[in-house]
Amino acid sequence: MPAEPLLTVTDLTVEFDSTDRRRRGQRFRAVDGVSLSLAPGETLGLVGESGSGKSTIGNAVLGLVATGPGSRIVFDGEDITQAPPKRRRALGSRIQVVFQDPYSSLNPSRTIGQTLGEPLRATGVDRRETRSRVADVLSKVDMSPDVAARYPAQFSGGQRQRIAIARALIRDPQLVILDEPTSALDLSVQAQILNLLIALRRDAHLSYLFISHDIDVVRFFSHRMAVLQHGRIVEEGDVDAVIERPREPYTRELLAAVPVADPREQRRRRESRSSVVTGSR
Amino acid sequence: MTYSLTPDTNSARPQRVRFLRSLRRHPLGALALGLLLLLAAGAILADLLAPYDPTATDLGNSLSGPTGSHLLGTDALGRDLLSRLLFGARVSLTGTAQAVATVIAVGVPIGLLAGYLGGWVDRVAGGIIDVLLAVPGIVMLLVIVAIFGNNESVAMIALGVLGAPGMARVVRGSTIAVRNELYIKAARVSGLTTRHVLVNHVLPRVSGPIVVRASLFAGVALLVETGLGFLGFGAQPPDPSWGNMVADASQFVAIAPWMLVPSGATIALSILSFGLLGDAIRDSTAGRARGADRVRRKVAGDAKEPAATPAQPATETPDDSDALLRVRGLTVSVPAATGQADIISDVTLEIRAGETVGLVGESGCGKSMTGRAILGLLPQPVAVTGGRILFDGQDITKLGPRQLQRLRGAQIALISQEPVASLDPVFTVGHQLKEVLLRHQPGSRREIARAAVALLRDVNLREPERVMRSYPHQLSGGMAQRVAIAMALAGRPRLLVADEPTTALDVTVQAEILGLLRRLQRQTGMAVLIISHDWGVIADVCERAYVMYAGQVVEQAPVLDLFDGPRHPYSAGLLGCMPGRAARGDLLPAIGGRVPQPGSWPTGCHFSPRCPIARDDCTRDPVALNETAAGHASRCLYPLLVDEKVFSHDAR
Ligand SMILES: Nc1ncnc2c1ncn2[C@@H]1O[C@H](COP(=O)(O)OP(=O)(O)OP(=O)(O)O)[C@@H](O)[C@H]1O
Ligand code: SF4
Ligand SMILES: [Mg+2]
Repeated sequence: MPAEPLLTVTDLTVEFDSTDRRRRGQRFRAVDGVSLSLAPGETLGLVGESGSGKSTIGNAVLGLVATGPGSRIVFDGEDITQAPPKRRRALGSRIQVVFQDPYSSLNPSRTIGQTLGEPLRATGVDRRETRSRVADVLSKVDMSPDVAARYPAQFSGGQRQRIAIARALIRDPQLVILDEPTSALDLSVQAQILNLLIALRRDAHLSYLFISHDIDVVRFFSHRMAVLQHGRIVEEGDVDAVIERPREPYTRELLAAVPVADPREQRRRRESRSSVVTGSR
Repeated sequence: MTYSLTPDTNSARPQRVRFLRSLRRHPLGALALGLLLLLAAGAILADLLAPYDPTATDLGNSLSGPTGSHLLGTDALGRDLLSRLLFGARVSLTGTAQAVATVIAVGVPIGLLAGYLGGWVDRVAGGIIDVLLAVPGIVMLLVIVAIFGNNESVAMIALGVLGAPGMARVVRGSTIAVRNELYIKAARVSGLTTRHVLVNHVLPRVSGPIVVRASLFAGVALLVETGLGFLGFGAQPPDPSWGNMVADASQFVAIAPWMLVPSGATIALSILSFGLLGDAIRDSTAGRARGADRVRRKVAGDAKEPAATPAQPATETPDDSDALLRVRGLTVSVPAATGQADIISDVTLEIRAGETVGLVGESGCGKSMTGRAILGLLPQPVAVTGGRILFDGQDITKLGPRQLQRLRGAQIALISQEPVASLDPVFTVGHQLKEVLLRHQPGSRREIARAAVALLRDVNLREPERVMRSYPHQLSGGMAQRVAIAMALAGRPRLLVADEPTTALDVTVQAEILGLLRRLQRQTGMAVLIISHDWGVIADVCERAYVMYAGQVVEQAPVLDLFDGPRHPYSAGLLGCMPGRAARGDLLPAIGGRVPQPGSWPTGCHFSPRCPIARDDCTRDPVALNETAAGHASRCLYPLLVDEKVFSHDAR
C-alpha cells in the first residue's frame, strides 16, 4: 500500500459511564489503546463480537464520542482528535458514514431530496446546483432522479441503504465509515450493496473503514482486517494472512465458530471442535 | 440497472396531511377542534357578529331568558349575553393564548437543549425545572395578581412560566429518544450546525408531544383565567370576560338561573375541548410512531385475487405415513382490499420423528408464517385458507384453542429469535421454569425444583442455581436462549420449531447453541424444524432443507444435494451470492431486483421477474414442485444442471 496513510489512529481509548446498575458511577473502557492506519483507497475491516468496541472506534473518528487522554486521530496529516465544532463540520465533506439500520437512518418526515441536498444547501450551494448534484449522486447508486421527491417510507431496506450511501457520497468524501452497512439486509440485497460499494471504491478511490461482525463479508470485502476483543485489537494484518494463518487463539476460536455453507466441511469441523467447546457463556 | 419506484406503503404523505386525516378517525377530537376554532373566530369577529354593544344596557329587558332579540338572554342590566360572550372571549382566549405561548417559549427550548446536548446543560436545566416545580403555583399566582393588580397578562405569563417545567420534561424525554436516531447522527456528521439539526430534524419529530401538552395546558390556563375573572381580577366591569360573567350570574342564580348557562357552558365546553383535542392528537401521533415508519413488512394494499391453485396438485412425495408432521398444500392468507392476499401458498413439507429439517429463504418469504401455522399461532387476521397440517395424524387446522394449547408445549414447542422477549420480565427464571414443569408433570415442590435445575444443567448452564434466581434481563443473549430452550424442552415435545434461534447471537455463542440443539435432539429423539436465512446454520445442523421464495417452497432436498447441485435458480442464486463462497476482488454473482410482496406475486413462476433463464412459458401458469431425483424436487420448468452458472457478476 502507498506510503502516506489517510487515517492514523494511535492509542485510542474511549470510556463510558457504566450502565450496569451494580457498578454505577464507574467508568468502563469500550475502546482500550487501539492503533490502526488506513491508506488512500484501502479498506480496513474491523471484526469482533457484539460489544467489542467496533462501532465506538468509528464514532470516535467521526467525532461523535469523546476520546480519552493520549488518544490521537490524524486525518490526511491533520490532528483531528480535539477538532473544534467548526472544523468538525468542515470535515463532514471528507469523512462520511453509512449506518447499519436503514430504517432509522433516514428522517421519515423529509423527502429524499431534502435529506441529500441538506448539507449542500447549508454550505451555500444554490437550489439548481443542489438539484443536479442530488440527481447525479442518485444515479451513482443506481436510483432514478425522481426518487428525490419521495419519502423514506416508500423504500425497502436495500433501497434505503442505497440512499444512505448516496448521502455519504454527495460531497465526494475520501473516507467512509461503513458501520455494518449490510447486516440488516437479506443475502441477495447484501450482494447488490456490496457490489455497489466495491464499484464506488474503485471509481472514486475511496477508503473504507468497514465495521462488521461477519467474517465472511470482511474477508471478501477488505484488504486488511483487525480483530477486536474487549476493546483491544488482538490481531491485525492482510485479510488472507489473518484468515488462513491466524496467530491468536481468539481469532482461531472466532474463525472456527463461523459456520461454513458446506455440510461436509461443517461435519469435519464439528467433529474436531466437539472435543474443545463445552460450557456456557 | 436502475430501480423503478415500487412503493411499499402508501404512507408517503407529509405529516401534516396525515395528522388531519387521522383527526377524521377521532370524531370527538375533530368536534373539539371545530368548536375552539369557532370560538376563536367569534372573538376575532366580535365587532361584526355581536348584535349589541356588550356594555349597552337595556333595563326594560333585564334578566330575560333567550328571546328573538336576545338570543342568549340578558343580564341584570339588560346587557345582551351573546354579545358579552363574544367580547368576553377576547379577554379569556387572549389570556389563555398568552399562557400557552409562554409555556412553549420557555419550556420547549429548555427541553430541547437539555435533551439534545445532555451533560452540564441537562443538569442545569434539571435544576431550574426542580426549583420551578417546588414553587407553590396558586400562592405564587395570587401574589403576582395582588402586586400587579388588574394586569392580567402578567398573571397569565407567570402561569406559563410555572407550567414550563412540565413541558420541558416532556420535550426533553422525546428529544432524547430522537437524538439517538441514526439520521440525527448522520446529519451531525454531514457538518450541519446544532441549530440546524434542532430546528429541522429534532423539532418536527417532537412536535406531536408538544402540541398534546400545550393543548392540555390550555385547558388549565383557561380554567385559571376564568377563575381570576370570577374573583374580580382582569377585565373590570362593565367590560365583559367569561369569568366576571359567571360572577355576575352567580348573584342572581336564585331568580334567573338561565343567566349562568351561556358563560358556564362555554367555559366547560372549551376546557373539555382542549382536553379532547390533546387526547386525539396523542392517539394519532402515538399510532404514527408505532406504525408506518418502522414497519418493514407489509402486505401490499392492492392485493390481487389469490392465484388459482395449480391445475395438478404439487407432487406429494408418496404419502409417507410414518412422518411425524405432514403439511399438505398449506395456504395462509390475510384479508385485503379485494378478497384476500396469500402470504404462503401451497406449501407441502414433512418431518419424520428424530429428523432435523431446515427452512431457508429471505425475509418476508413466509418461513416464520409456516412455523407459526404449524404451532397454531397465526396472528390475527392471518388465517389458514387451504390445506392440512397433520401432526401425528391429527389435523392441527381443525383443532380448537383448548386442544391447540394442550398440543403446544407437550407435543410441539417453539424457540424464537428473541429469547429475552419470550420470558416474562417480572418473574425469576426459576419461577417460570417451575411453572412450566408443573403444567406437564405433577410432583412435589422439591421434585419440581430438582427437575428445573436438571433441565438448566442439561442446556449447559454452568450455575443453574444462580440462573434460577435471576431475572431475564440479567441474562446474556446466549444464556437467555439456553433458558428458552430449557423451557421448550420441559414438556418433552416431539417436535421443536426453532425460528432463527441464533440470529441475534454472536458467532461463538451461536456455535454453542447449535451444538446444544444437536445434542438434545440426539438424546431426546425429537424432530427439529430450523427456520433460518443463514446457509451456514442449515449446513451445520440439518439433514434436509426446504427453500422458500415468495410464499412457496421452491426446492426441497437433502442438504448435501442442495449445496452440491441446487436445481432451482433461486436456490442457486442465493447460495452463489454468499460472500463466503466468492473470490475476493471479484463482484458477487448477485440476483437483481427484490422479493415481491405478498399480493403482488407474479402469475406463473414467482421468481420469473428475477430469473436469468426465464422463458415465456414461465409466466403463464403456476409452476408445480417436480421431483428431479429421489427426495429432490424443484419448482422450476427448466431445472438447473449441476454446476450451471446463470447469475452475472454485475447486478448491484
Ligand atoms: N401480522 C401480520 N399480518 C399480515 N401480514 C403479515 C404479518 N406478519 C407478516 N406478514 C406477511 O407475511 C409474509 C411472511 O412473513 P414471515 O414473517 O413468515 O417471513 P420470514 O420468511 O420469516 O422473514 P424473516 O427472515 O424476515 O423472519 C411477509 O411478507 C409479511 O408481508
Ligand atoms: S420456472 Fe422459469 S422463471 Fe421460474 S425459476 Fe424456472 S426457469 Fe426461472
Ligand atoms: Mg422470520
